[in-house]
Amino acid sequence: MPQTPAVTFCAVTRHFGPVKAVDGVDLTVAEGAFFAMLGPSGSGKTTCLRLISGFERPDHGAIHIFGQDVSAVPPHLRNVNTVFQDYALFPHLSVRDNVAYGLMVKGMGKAHRLAKAEAMLDLVKLADYGARKPAQLSGGQRQRVALARALVNEPKVLLLDEPLGALDLKLREAMQDELKALQRRLGLTFIFVTHDQGEALSMADSLAVFDKGKIAQIGTPAQIYTQPATRFVADFVGSSNLLPPALTLALGGPAQWASLRPEALRLADTGPISGVVQSQRYLGTGTRINLTLNGTDLAAFVPAGSPVPAEGSQVTLTFAPEALHLLGDAP
Amino acid sequence: MSPAIFPATTIASKLTGVFWRHPKLLLGLLLTPPLLWLGVIYLGSLAALLVQSFYSFDDFSGLVIPEFTLTTYAKLASPANLSIILRTLLMALAVTLASAIIAFPVAYYAARYALGRWKAVFYLGVMLPLWSSYLVKVYAFKLILAKEGIVTWAASATHTDWLLNAALALPFVGGASLSSSYLGTFIVFCYVWLPYMILPMQAAIERVPVGLLEASSDLGATARQTFWTVTLPLALPGVIAGSIFTFSLTLGDYIIPQIIGNSASFIGMAVYQLQGTAGNVPLAAAFAVIPILIMLAYLTLARKAGAFDAL
Repeated sequence: MPQTPAVTFCAVTRHFGPVKAVDGVDLTVAEGAFFAMLGPSGSGKTTCLRLISGFERPDHGAIHIFGQDVSAVPPHLRNVNTVFQDYALFPHLSVRDNVAYGLMVKGMGKAHRLAKAEAMLDLVKLADYGARKPAQLSGGQRQRVALARALVNEPKVLLLDEPLGALDLKLREAMQDELKALQRRLGLTFIFVTHDQGEALSMADSLAVFDKGKIAQIGTPAQIYTQPATRFVADFVGSSNLLPPALTLALGGPAQWASLRPEALRLADTGPISGVVQSQRYLGTGTRINLTLNGTDLAAFVPAGSPVPAEGSQVTLTFAPEALHLLGDAP
Repeated sequence: MSPAIFPATTIASKLTGVFWRHPKLLLGLLLTPPLLWLGVIYLGSLAALLVQSFYSFDDFSGLVIPEFTLTTYAKLASPANLSIILRTLLMALAVTLASAIIAFPVAYYAARYALGRWKAVFYLGVMLPLWSSYLVKVYAFKLILAKEGIVTWAASATHTDWLLNAALALPFVGGASLSSSYLGTFIVFCYVWLPYMILPMQAAIERVPVGLLEASSDLGATARQTFWTVTLPLALPGVIAGSIFTFSLTLGDYIIPQIIGNSASFIGMAVYQLQGTAGNVPLAAAFAVIPILIMLAYLTLARKAGAFDAL
């Protein structure tokens, strides 16, 4: 018997006046998945999350959570919880009472709920912080409180709305690992909204790339990265060279839009691409050099350790034929 | 010789330099006049009031005896004066409570739902009554609430006289007509002070982030639970600010109970009569100390109850 998916969207549409925030989205999130919704701001990913939590209602289409149609279920009756972008901790309550809030409104006794809250604070490594007010915590600590406050309710699905956006880089990377480990340990379905493609690629089991209210592509991080379906995906995920049909043809492909990753381009003695290095950028793990070929800007990645051609020097580049990835856009 | 970066030649530019090097000097210069005003005119006169309440009044000569004594406070504790204080206190409590209950939905709507033009309509609607004369409004209400007034007429036209009569038949607060009962005094107090409750409440509710209400709902709280556990505690400083206005304005008012009601005395009226006609400044001062003490006690209680935790 096939497993019931955690969340399904069936032709879901949500418009705000003339703005098509979500425009005919079909989506299936498997139980226990770490699912990312990736897209630039205004692409509809946050609206999709709010449709799951119930703060928005679809104009058309149906949303099912574990097989149940939730179109008539208000947010407080849905067994999903959200970690909000700004954490939305209650400033007048202590950290412990914040975490116990969901249990309190469901009528759990004080001793019982505070014990559970403490256990959850222990899980997010904030055992000694229960008596403090949210204002006395750092950004990373608040983020953990928000996580504990959601998880203590034992949700079927946990929604995370850019939860790491406000943290600095080091902390963000540490939290990425922790979140991933926590999700594995609890076996919960996480749905994660982010505009940071690195975050989405490194954390998610599968992800959906949003563009203008529609899903541009759904797949595993590797599929999205190596086989982008459209120019938008190729451009937004990673940093791809986009080749117009004429250039693809010139490089030995059919007359179609194609993408070519900078790290697929190698310096060589002979090759189909040659040009003058316009600029270079040192990235730590290597150096990116930029050149122009037939009016198209191309970037190539020179790994650290290899000699880097100077600006203004003539270079020749080659690539493996299979690295040229054809895109689905009309020529 | 290299040219100066900032050639300080004029007096103004030299002064700028002095203020920049000594920021506290500028702050002091700016703050001294208002602090003097606050200290001397506000607190000084309040201290003078407090001192006078410890003087006594000679009933025969009509003179104030400037010697410290507690006899004035003993007179204040007479049953007649205590009943004035109790009456004023109960009225202020009732007016504050009713204003808060009426104001909250209005303030909530204005803070959460009113947009653009409706927000302007809201502000106009709340402020407009404040722009017209207070006396005109009170006298207008005397006519509205009179036995021959529009309320009685409307009640009989809609066959709800029984309701009006039942209200007027209530013991203690009722009377011959609305304009000559405590009920009428209460209604006019509520009408006149309501804007002072609505505006701080609206500002406080507006400051409660919508995200917190969503978080509460997300965590399983019903709308009612969200109101009692999130909205109200966070808006409480505004409610308290509003209640300070309605409470203290009612405690000190002497015009409304003179014009509307059964002529029973309130603290404000007592002060007015003692000071104006009787010349008994010490007892008037002692009366005036009562609202101050009540407000201090109220604020202490509110603070203990955690009303200012969210500030």
